[in-house]
Amino acid sequence: MIKGISLFINTYKLNFKKNRIAELNLAVVVKLEPDLSAGSISYNPDGTLNRSKTKNTLGPHSKIATQAAFYAKVKYGAKICVGSMSGHAANNALQIAMETCDADVLHLYNDPSFAGADTIGTAEVLRKGVEKMEGTMEKKMDIVFSGHRATDGETGQTGPQIAWKLGLTFLGNVISYDVDLEKRTVTAKRLLILRGVPEIIQEIEAPLPVFIAIDPSYKYHFNTVSLRLSAEKYKKEAYEKAQNYQQYIHTFNREELGAEKTLIGLVGSPTIVYNVQRVPKGKAIRNAKVLDGSNPEHIRQTVTAIKEALSAMVIK
Amino acid sequence: MEKYDVAIIGGGSSGLAALKQLSALGKQAILLEAGSIIGSKSISGGILYSKKLKKGKVTNVEDLYENFLDDAPFERKITKYILHSTSKDKIFSMDLTAAHDYQANFGCSVLMNKLNSWFAKQATETSQKFGGGIIPGVHVKSITWNDKGRAIIHTDEIDAFEVKAIIAADGVNSEVAEMVGARSKFTSEQLYQGVKVLIKLPEKIINERFGITSSEGAAHLFAGDITLNHIGGGFLYTNHDTLSIGAVYHFDSLLKNPVEPYTLIDTLLRNPMVSELIKDTVPITKILDKTLSQEEQLKTRFDIAKLIKDWNDIRGKYLTSACEDPDSVKAKLDSIEEQMTQKFGITFGINHVESEYGAKLIPDGKRCRMEKPFFKNILFVGDAAGRGIFIGPRIEGLNVGIDDGARAAIAVARALDKDDFSESYLGEYYSQLIDESPYTTDMKQIDKDYLKIFLDAAKDVPSDIIGSGYGPILKLMSSNTFRGLVIKFANILGYDKLLPLIETENTYVKVPIQLAERLGKITSTSYHPKDTSIGERISKLSYNDDHLSHIKLLDTNNEFMKKIVVLCPAKCYAEEGEKIILQHEGCLDCGTCSQKTEWRHPRGEKGIHYKYG
Ligand SMILES: Cc1cc2nc3c(=O)[nH]c(=O)nc-3n(C[C@H](O)[C@H](O)[C@H](O)COP(=O)(O)OP(=O)(O)OC[C@H]3O[C@@H](n4cnc5c(N)ncnc54)[C@H](O)[C@@H]3O)c2cc1C
Ligand code: SF4
Repeated sequence: MIKGISLFINTYKLNFKKNRIAELNLAVVVKLEPDLSAGSISYNPDGTLNRSKTKNTLGPHSKIATQAAFYAKVKYGAKICVGSMSGHAANNALQIAMETCDADVLHLYNDPSFAGADTIGTAEVLRKGVEKMEGTMEKKMDIVFSGHRATDGETGQTGPQIAWKLGLTFLGNVISYDVDLEKRTVTAKRLLILRGVPEIIQEIEAPLPVFIAIDPSYKYHFNTVSLRLSAEKYKKEAYEKAQNYQQYIHTFNREELGAEKTLIGLVGSPTIVYNVQRVPKGKAIRNAKVLDGSNPEHIRQTVTAIKEALSAMVIK
Repeated sequence: MEKYDVAIIGGGSSGLAALKQLSALGKQAILLEAGSIIGSKSISGGILYSKKLKKGKVTNVEDLYENFLDDAPFERKITKYILHSTSKDKIFSMDLTAAHDYQANFGCSVLMNKLNSWFAKQATETSQKFGGGIIPGVHVKSITWNDKGRAIIHTDEIDAFEVKAIIAADGVNSEVAEMVGARSKFTSEQLYQGVKVLIKLPEKIINERFGITSSEGAAHLFAGDITLNHIGGGFLYTNHDTLSIGAVYHFDSLLKNPVEPYTLIDTLLRNPMVSELIKDTVPITKILDKTLSQEEQLKTRFDIAKLIKDWNDIRGKYLTSACEDPDSVKAKLDSIEEQMTQKFGITFGINHVESEYGAKLIPDGKRCRMEKPFFKNILFVGDAAGRGIFIGPRIEGLNVGIDDGARAAIAVARALDKDDFSESYLGEYYSQLIDESPYTTDMKQIDKDYLKIFLDAAKDVPSDIIGSGYGPILKLMSSNTFRGLVIKFANILGYDKLLPLIETENTYVKVPIQLAERLGKITSTSYHPKDTSIGERISKLSYNDDHLSHIKLLDTNNEFMKKIVVLCPAKCYAEEGEKIILQHEGCLDCGTCSQKTEWRHPRGEKGIHYKYG
């Protein structure tokens, strides 16, 4: 009898999040990117990337966004819809996304008119996509996640633009977050990097719904046995679902999305990415001087040097 | 604080067996494993045995996992077992398949990463039904007890939680045993060091070279000059499309005459018989034209990488027994080879393809099994309890650990039913189950029938090679009546007294060398493998580096640590002047340096991540 109860309590603990009334509704917008690992990449005879022969994969930043959604699924219980704008019908990025976050619904936005879009043209399609998700799931989204940026030449603007178009509070560079289901708020830590200053972590609280662009350094952490066990359960469920991911895909063209022709694709794009260049590395010029920590004169010299260096860094 | 019934610490084959058995008995258990996924910290030889013993019953792998023979990803059933005595290019071989078959249902070669993750899948399915499961990436750092006698488990990664009983399956370098004071660290006399490399070779080439079919497997054991004068030997086991090659040496003998573990492996690989068995065709790329633009060079490099990858995949496919349409696959292979040569000037040569290098200590159950394998409400199983059978060339740690895990589970289930976790109810009952295990008997006594197999195999060996000391004893033992008496007498003496007489340089080095020189056949090879540098070996491994070192040096200037500079299989130690320094990155968690250091496993998910094991 007693055994029965203890067993019940433990299984209850695991299932209870699933049955919670105020479950979260999450959207993740992801990007299919060429797999740049050796052996997967293919070139045209003229030296340009052969997009149709190069294998595609879920972009690394998008993957982190799906991981962030998985955190909420395990911790609070959530319905997740992953959406992607892509010209590829066989979209294995959606499969990887499903396996990563145990998504419930997959959306593919696919139309020839989407081609050639810049960030704002893309943002328009994805905004329509999120609205479509809300239609499919008959729920308003609580959090929309995106990656920090894409690796194949994007500037990190798509996320903020979708947020702006959807009228959501935008939280960028989020390295961890938690939700208060009763108060319906989110608290998030953001990583701020300012020149000359060590990393700053800003903690903010915002009412739901919000748009979160996840920082590349995000890593979820489940700190109790019960959370870990349910994470393992969801992972298993996700793996099994992802084997048949095609069943979960809903595909929409421009018309079905209800996207305005003038706001999308090449037509709706006021900018083109002409070239992306890395910030050149500064030459390391280091004049090392060996100082003895037990010598007061050396310590004085060090303090002066630090003072000088600090005064040279003016932060505006 | 969260509360659970049972915690199992360590997700090797022993801990997983405990979880599977406990779940089969309807009990809730949580298994904690430090590696980021199950199997990532596992390394073995290895041949996994299923035994049918004359005296008593054990839980075999297929008893616990009923679908093992149909579904498990084991490599090959070993059907040939041969011991080779080596001296330079001379080799004397003895067929010991009878020793391998002795009291065995089967013995199959296994790669532990794959196999443990399969075990984990089976165990998870049952354990989840009872609110249990596996939590990877968590390293247990201490255990305390509350006033009700419940154990509290503290880890680096998750909040502390309470359990009624613990099964410690944390391997040979058990921190649990040490932190609670259940036993002291094993000594060098009680341990062997095992080092292993995994070599890729297509299935059909293995079949042809070893004279086996795809449903058969071969094991070759080596003693003689390849030991470089150490007690122990080498092994080579065939897997499905890889070879496991290793060196296992008594730690004491390594301390007496320190030689780098990788040198011992290279010596084995350079033996002409082994070289001939491991060689394969490999593509050799030309040096890139440096006058090309950076972009062009990068593009060429990618193109070559893609072609070589395709070549490997398609060649692998062509050389498997499962290849359905060999002609069209061959045509594809030919076309890729043509592209490789024509477009990029790639040529083909002979080399061997080493994919993984690893090491771990192995406890010798004859010398170090725990007499009292429990402490409070903790039961020790498998390597953690110092259990494993080491007789002749055969190592049995996997099957013993699986049986221990099942026995511990039975004891814990019984304690849960009565809600009594006292040493007298739980620990002593487990101890009794372990004492009843026929494996424990094997760790204590020589089995005269097993010995007879070796005597029969050696019956044509000239007695002067065996040596004057052993001659009369061997003569006595070849008679069925006297053998019984001699063994009885030997067993009265016990392994303590016998081992220094049996496990000697004579047995592992001198006699085999003489055998090879006098009776051996000359073996030649056209392939002379170049030694792989330790740097190259380590660079092929996956690590999740921790900036904090899991090993702390206690005394940087002692004789033992100076030998460890040589004996660390990853070359993590160096001598700087009089002092020993450690660079923990690259550590294989083998435990070789643990005796004179403050040694822990890396934190959860950190450190080495084996892909094959
Ligand atoms: C080279 C070599 C050849 C061998 N050949 C054979 C053979 O042919 N046949 C055979 O039967 N046996 C062989 N053995 C022995 C066999 O591999 C071992 O006996 C067996 O793997 C032991 O299993 P185990 O589960 O007890 O321990 P392990 O496999 O060592 O598992 C222990 C687990 O515990 C985890 N762990 C440790 N500490 C903690 C902690 N504090 N918190 C959480 N997790 C922790 C580790 O990450 C590890 O996964 C060989 C061994 C070696 C090294
Ligand atoms: S540092 Fe110690 S545990 Fe690590 S590989 Fe070297 S000897 Fe083994």
